[in-house]
Amino acid sequence: MISKLMAAGLTRRTFLKSTAITAVGAALPGASLAAGEPIKIGFLAPLTGAVAAWGKPGLDGCMIWAERVNAAGGIELSDGKHPVEFVSYDNEYDPAKARTGATKLIREDGVSFIMMLGGDTWPGVQPVADKTGMLFSTLLPSDLSPESTTLLAPAEVHPIYVVTGVDYLADTYPDAKTAVICAQDDALGLPSVATYLAAFEARGIEVLEEPLLFDPATTDFAPIVTRMLSSNPDIICLDTCYSDYVHPICEQLFQQGYAGKMISATADFYDQMIAKTSKEFMEGFIFQFPDFDDPALAGDNINFEDANGFYEAYSERHPGEWGAVSWEYASIMDLWKAAAEKAGSADPDAVIAAMKEGGTGKHAFGDAVWWGTELFGIDNALVGDWPVVVIEDGKAVIKGFKSIPDWYDQHGDLLIKHMQAYDQMYDQRG
Amino acid sequence: MLDLLAQTGLNAVYAASYISLVAVGLVLIFGVMGVINFAHGELFMAGAYVVVAVYADMHMPFFLAVVVGLLFVGCLGLLMERALFRPLRDNPLGGLVASIGFLMILQALASMGFGVRMEFIPPVTQHVVWFTDTISIPLARVYVIVAAVLLLSTLWYFLKRTRFGWALRASAQDPQAAELQGISIAQTAKIAMFIGAGLAGIAGTLTAPLVSVNPHMGHSVIVTAFIVIIVGGVGSLEGAIIASVVYAFVHTFVTTFYGGVIADITGLSLMLLVLIVKPTGLFGSADRA
Repeated sequence: MISKLMAAGLTRRTFLKSTAITAVGAALPGASLAAGEPIKIGFLAPLTGAVAAWGKPGLDGCMIWAERVNAAGGIELSDGKHPVEFVSYDNEYDPAKARTGATKLIREDGVSFIMMLGGDTWPGVQPVADKTGMLFSTLLPSDLSPESTTLLAPAEVHPIYVVTGVDYLADTYPDAKTAVICAQDDALGLPSVATYLAAFEARGIEVLEEPLLFDPATTDFAPIVTRMLSSNPDIICLDTCYSDYVHPICEQLFQQGYAGKMISATADFYDQMIAKTSKEFMEGFIFQFPDFDDPALAGDNINFEDANGFYEAYSERHPGEWGAVSWEYASIMDLWKAAAEKAGSADPDAVIAAMKEGGTGKHAFGDAVWWGTELFGIDNALVGDWPVVVIEDGKAVIKGFKSIPDWYDQHGDLLIKHMQAYDQMYDQRG
Repeated sequence: MLDLLAQTGLNAVYAASYISLVAVGLVLIFGVMGVINFAHGELFMAGAYVVVAVYADMHMPFFLAVVVGLLFVGCLGLLMERALFRPLRDNPLGGLVASIGFLMILQALASMGFGVRMEFIPPVTQHVVWFTDTISIPLARVYVIVAAVLLLSTLWYFLKRTRFGWALRASAQDPQAAELQGISIAQTAKIAMFIGAGLAGIAGTLTAPLVSVNPHMGHSVIVTAFIVIIVGGVGSLEGAIIASVVYAFVHTFVTTFYGGVIADITGLSLMLLVLIVKPTGLFGSADRA
């Protein structure tokens, strides 16, 4: 074959040169975009399996985001406007599949940026990030470490935002003084347990017993709920349980006669939880992820463009499927787009530099700071205010926004103490 | 403390009920056909999805969905027998591999047909039976317990008191001798597959409103069923039932008093202990093990 090409006038030197340029181009994604060529963004998250609820709705949100951006002309780099295109890969929340997916997205698809859920899958991807210098984002800043210089957590400061919910609970229900916590024993559950312990301690709420950790394969939650109720707590904390757990746990709490307060990081598809229990039982349930039709998200402090319109478009296309992550990946894309346009390039280094310039950024819920050196060893988490959401009369309502950095300034030592106790500090994680 | 013990006991009775339905079906298939059916958890899942389709989506009565689930999953068992296990009758390893393939097909079909997300199933009943102020059991869980007792009693009667049952047991004990006596191995295999799959299906239908229904829900069920049949003795129906009760009580009580992660370790340790002390399981025989 090669000899035929040579015979057709291609010299060996030209062949080697062009091959080398192609190889470098493939290895340095984002550096070789032709004018008008689509910018490809990788979406590497669980689209099937137990954690799919924190992947698939995010991809659906990104598709709406891309349509809006492309309808407005695309992303403007120094060489002109480019449409944006998402390339997804289902990692099934499996580190090995995530690594394969990252490699494929970089080498074969030539993406300029990869968004991930993170958690258990990040350790599989980190070597690929180290080797290629690709820019990644995670929803879980607990993935951050000094070594992960091209990993950003620009949307969700899981689990640190849960402190705002506990603060609201303590302010609103000062008589609620005891709590129990349950969580799945994994990379999402444990740092969240440590954060809730710190938040409860900061507000003088006694945690009655060691947090109940369960295997992620658990299907019958009756024994766990029985145990939680045996200590007669004022507050049941569902930590960062997946919706596959939050729903049956709430149903069990209802069936076993619980009547106290409930707090959780998420309450995805809470309408179904109400249908399985009752509106009265779910009244006052505190969590952290608003429906974007909330009027509070139309305020001037909100940086997510037309949040209410986005929710309307999403609900029209995917009725009943709005969840915690439906907006998050899209909000990361807002930040990435702004940074790429500022840098005039999709090159990872240029985008990171533009994104972090001045140490501040425009988070979906308001202006925020790049933060996290003490907790993660690197200031790659964009942190500011976070909403506290409460179910009232069967509907999620934002009760206010609270500052995470302000809480940390007062109680950071407690958070570090509990993170260390659960081996969740960046220098303890394996 | 007594209340906590009693409530935990009720939780354990429910767990024993659905585990025994699944485990007995798995043992029956292995006993008659000599094949370890790795797709048994997915038959459980298929039963749950029948409830999603018939009860949640089509708004038909729940107990009609249960009957449809039993028949549908039983027929899936017949399909497996005809398409997978019969051609591979002399190749147990081939049957095992084929069942793994079928498992993946069922998961993929569920994902394609219903999506990957947890399915919402409206509660069948919100009625709770209260024994005291703190001891209760939801009526939906009582349905599972009653169904397990009725079905397993009927199965016992069928196996011990009917000609078909005798034929099944004879085929399980010595297929060649049974064939010489005029018993059709193909016929008994069909009956075993229908009953075994149907039991998994009915367990899936009855528990569907109580658990998270998703395409991967069969995984934890099959792991538990394997532990149970190893403890009870591979091929022993009585062993499967007793081991289900033992496992459910141990797992539930350890979960309640020491935590779910320790309960899983305890369950596996129980299996290892039985394998060391009595490798054939509590009720197993050496030739089947």
